[in-house]
Amino acid sequence: MAAPEVHHLFHNPIADHSFSADHATLAVARDSTVELYGKAGNAFKLKDVLKGHDKTVTSVDIAPNSGRIVSCSQDRNALVWEPSPTGYKPTLVLLRISRAATFVRWSPSETKFAVGSGDRVIAVCYFEEENDWWVSKHLKKPIRSTITSVAWHPNSVLLAAGSTDAHARVFSAFVKGVDERPEPGVWGERLPFNTVCGEYMNNSAGWVHSVSFSPSGNALAFAAHDSSITVVYPSGPEQPPRAVLSVPTQLLPFKSLIWKAEDEIIAAGYDCEAFRFQGSEGGWQLVGTVESKGSAGHGEQREESALNMFRQMDLKGKVKDDTQLKTIHQNTIATIRPYEESGGRVTKFSSSGVDGRVVIWTA
Amino acid sequence: MSIIQHHTAASLSDAWRTVNIDILTEDSSVNFDTSTLRPPQPEIAEADVRALASQVRQLLRGGDAEGALRSCLETPVYNGTDAAKEAHLQTIIEVLQSIKASDMTPLLRGIYAAPGGSELLDVLMKYIYKGMASGVPAAAGLKSPAKMTPQSTGFSQIGSRPGVSNEPASAAMSVLLSWHEKLVEVAGLGCIGRTMTDWRRV
Repeated sequence: MAAPEVHHLFHNPIADHSFSADHATLAVARDSTVELYGKAGNAFKLKDVLKGHDKTVTSVDIAPNSGRIVSCSQDRNALVWEPSPTGYKPTLVLLRISRAATFVRWSPSETKFAVGSGDRVIAVCYFEEENDWWVSKHLKKPIRSTITSVAWHPNSVLLAAGSTDAHARVFSAFVKGVDERPEPGVWGERLPFNTVCGEYMNNSAGWVHSVSFSPSGNALAFAAHDSSITVVYPSGPEQPPRAVLSVPTQLLPFKSLIWKAEDEIIAAGYDCEAFRFQGSEGGWQLVGTVESKGSAGHGEQREESALNMFRQMDLKGKVKDDTQLKTIHQNTIATIRPYEESGGRVTKFSSSGVDGRVVIWTA
Repeated sequence: MSIIQHHTAASLSDAWRTVNIDILTEDSSVNFDTSTLRPPQPEIAEADVRALASQVRQLLRGGDAEGALRSCLETPVYNGTDAAKEAHLQTIIEVLQSIKASDMTPLLRGIYAAPGGSELLDVLMKYIYKGMASGVPAAAGLKSPAKMTPQSTGFSQIGSRPGVSNEPASAAMSVLLSWHEKLVEVAGLGCIGRTMTDWRRV
């Protein structure tokens, strides 16, 4: 297994990161700007700074095909950054929300994006040709609290959202004229806008940090603040799900999760490293960490001379320097994303967190 | 340019920042009963708790400590009167006190490994915190429970803090502390997190 590729960009928290499809550009949300890094050799160099928000940028996403960047911020706005020969041009999106925007993701079709907010709404935004601007429709019912994350179904119509009211929900975000009528599936047959296709919570009902559809779109996973992940297998419209499998762990809560394949989930969060879950409809379980710490730890341990030992004790009051975590990330991981896929399985994923590092892992 | 065009005494002070705007919004979480979002819990009467307590004592006398602890933890009083909740806490503390320190870890491991065991240990953690919060009135009903409302943090500085002057209480507290330590070893920090996030209060 190849060693993870570590890029320590700066000493600030990274709220969210996104790679372009060719992996040459990396966008990170830093304070009230979006910074674009370009690949130069093995490192990432600062290329451009997108300034347009006046409060903390909470989320950023690059559309893989069009290269458009969407960002959203606590200033209640979302901006679409259009690539042009002279740099990125921002377009303001009419979100019509009165609280911070918390999370944004392009739909797989790239004609829409969804913005979660603290205003108990999700703004589903699409481009209106005749007026030449981005407008939004609100998914409102029955959200009772801040939306922490959203995730699109592969068909670009269904949208999953996690909320601090402890529910993970699946909505229809069908926009007439933008979307093709979706094939009927396990989540529903007729799907007008704001159809609630599913509403789930787990036993101890921690607020939901992250949601994700499985690659086929026929299962939903969410991570909650009770240190658990829950996987839902729906059976059909208007019917109780076939299985809701909750895996409580001994660890700290997970902030983000992705599906590696139908039978594997990777989740990371406050423990500063990524963990692997495996299972199927019959049951899920935690199998271990993605990071192998054994080898890395041994390399760093050097032979200490007696003189050095006493000097350290004199200077610091202890022999060992234990100010470093044994994990690569030195603080909470905020986002993990698929980086490279082949044959329907994620082969590499990237993570970013509060410590200002972006790391690319072999999944 | 400031968005405030005309300064008045009200706009110059920052008192407006303390206005709770959630109250003014009709459908905000403050004006909404969040308990309707959750499935209801069955109500457990005080008589049931007492009946369970005597069953548990029987199990304890028979030497089945694990069985006694399990049957306590399988029926947590999430929905019931304060008296019922308090009585169930007393039962659990009694069980905890009757188990030897050397038996704690194997017993907890046994429960954790069983299906649904993680949930049971979460319940145990809730009761340990509840016991700590209520200042642990002397077990076996020698003293009436010290009545006070624990703060939302679960930590209270008022009331009967266990100290040197309070022998039985401090003994009970040390039992809870050592159970807490052993429990975190087995169920991890996730167990504490779940206790804090869970809306089902004991």
